[in-house]
Amino acid sequence: MDIAAYISSGIIESYVLGLASEEEVSILNCIRKNNVEVEQAIAEAEKALEGLADIQAIQMPVALKDDIWNRLEAENLVAKDDQIADLPAEQALSDDTALQSPILGSEEEIKSLALRKYYGWAVAASVLLALSIGANLFFYQQQKENKEMLVQANATLDMQNSTLVVLQDKWSLVQNPAVKTIALKGVENKPDLHALVFWDQTSKAVYLSLEQMPAAPKGKQYQLWAMVDGQPVSAGVFPLNGKEAMANKMLDIPKAQAFAITLEDEGGKAVPTLTELCVMGSI
Amino acid sequence: MSPLHNLPEETLILLLKKKNQQAFSYLYDNYMDALYGVVCRIVASSEHAEEVIQDVFVKIWKHVDLFDAEKGRLYTWMINIARNTALDYRKSKGVVNELKNQPLSNIVNTEEEQDQSQSEQSAKADFIGFKNILDKLKPECRILIEMAYYEGYTQQEIAEQLDVPLGTVKTRTKAAFLQLKQLLKDFR
Repeated sequence: MDIAAYISSGIIESYVLGLASEEEVSILNCIRKNNVEVEQAIAEAEKALEGLADIQAIQMPVALKDDIWNRLEAENLVAKDDQIADLPAEQALSDDTALQSPILGSEEEIKSLALRKYYGWAVAASVLLALSIGANLFFYQQQKENKEMLVQANATLDMQNSTLVVLQDKWSLVQNPAVKTIALKGVENKPDLHALVFWDQTSKAVYLSLEQMPAAPKGKQYQLWAMVDGQPVSAGVFPLNGKEAMANKMLDIPKAQAFAITLEDEGGKAVPTLTELCVMGSI
Repeated sequence: MSPLHNLPEETLILLLKKKNQQAFSYLYDNYMDALYGVVCRIVASSEHAEEVIQDVFVKIWKHVDLFDAEKGRLYTWMINIARNTALDYRKSKGVVNELKNQPLSNIVNTEEEQDQSQSEQSAKADFIGFKNILDKLKPECRILIEMAYYEGYTQQEIAEQLDVPLGTVKTRTKAAFLQLKQLLKDFR
């Protein structure tokens, strides 16, 4: 809204004169709340009429003063406490201002109390926040530790489980009366090496577990041979991803007098490289 | 002559709320002549003006607790009480005047009223001696303030009576206030 146009429209003066319509009055009451210029223009128009009343004043008949006082008293509209009524105006008024100051003081006290209360809440809130953050950090840390421990425990369990599986696997093989266990021992220059071959006499299935063999170097694979009537027959390569201690299934061998392992190029060979012989065991 | 309202309004309000004799004297001595001037110009009879001004005073005295400083100035509030009380009085008298053709029982009153209005004519003459600052305004502005302020016409009625559009009433109101402010400045 164009405030300058509103002020010069004459609506404010109409309002002060009591001429404005209800609608105009409600609009004006709305504007004056939020607009200092309009509020000021209203006050100025009011002051003009007050000035007019001052200048047009007519002296009251003297007797009226007592008449009105008596009427107020008769209607019981006068405060009984007349102690300060005898005091000169200025003194009574300074009384008024004196009366005012404690009120103001208490108002300020209330304000500062409210402020203190407010600060109290703020401090309490800050402490709570700090505590909460601390607790969160603590629990977070603990949770992290717990997680790590859990992962570790799981890993251990997995390991133990797999070991168990390996053992159970081997155990079932050993338990099986049809299975022959042949221990392969390290050759002259590798006396510490040791492997086991489980050979099912019924199904002719062959299982190999590398009990004590170093992991095959890159590009190499262990290959199992069966010595059949003096001739080496390949029983397959030990899987690259196979677990050494695990009894891995190899190729079926129907007949053999001995088993041996050589370290060959990846994929295996048709004929064993005898210089790479690692372990050997006869039946 | 001009009231000595040298107290700040807030102090005056506190004083009035005490409702003691000091408050009474202060209010009476500083404001009543001005309010009486307003009442006299509306009621136009000193006898009735005395009755009305008493009612005005009692109303102010009784209702000062209801005064809301946010909605205006205390002096303006008191002037409006004086104006409205006086205008109501005029209206009630006007209603009685319209009862001229009523049953016999009312005629006594009506005759009284007629006597009254005759005496009012002379009473109105009482005020002629008082200075009227409004005479110094341009005629179209003076008549507007008199009709609105002292006679309680509505904007619509003024437009009809003066045979001008509503918008003109507003612009003349604005002009009247500008002139009035200038006059008051010169007067002081």
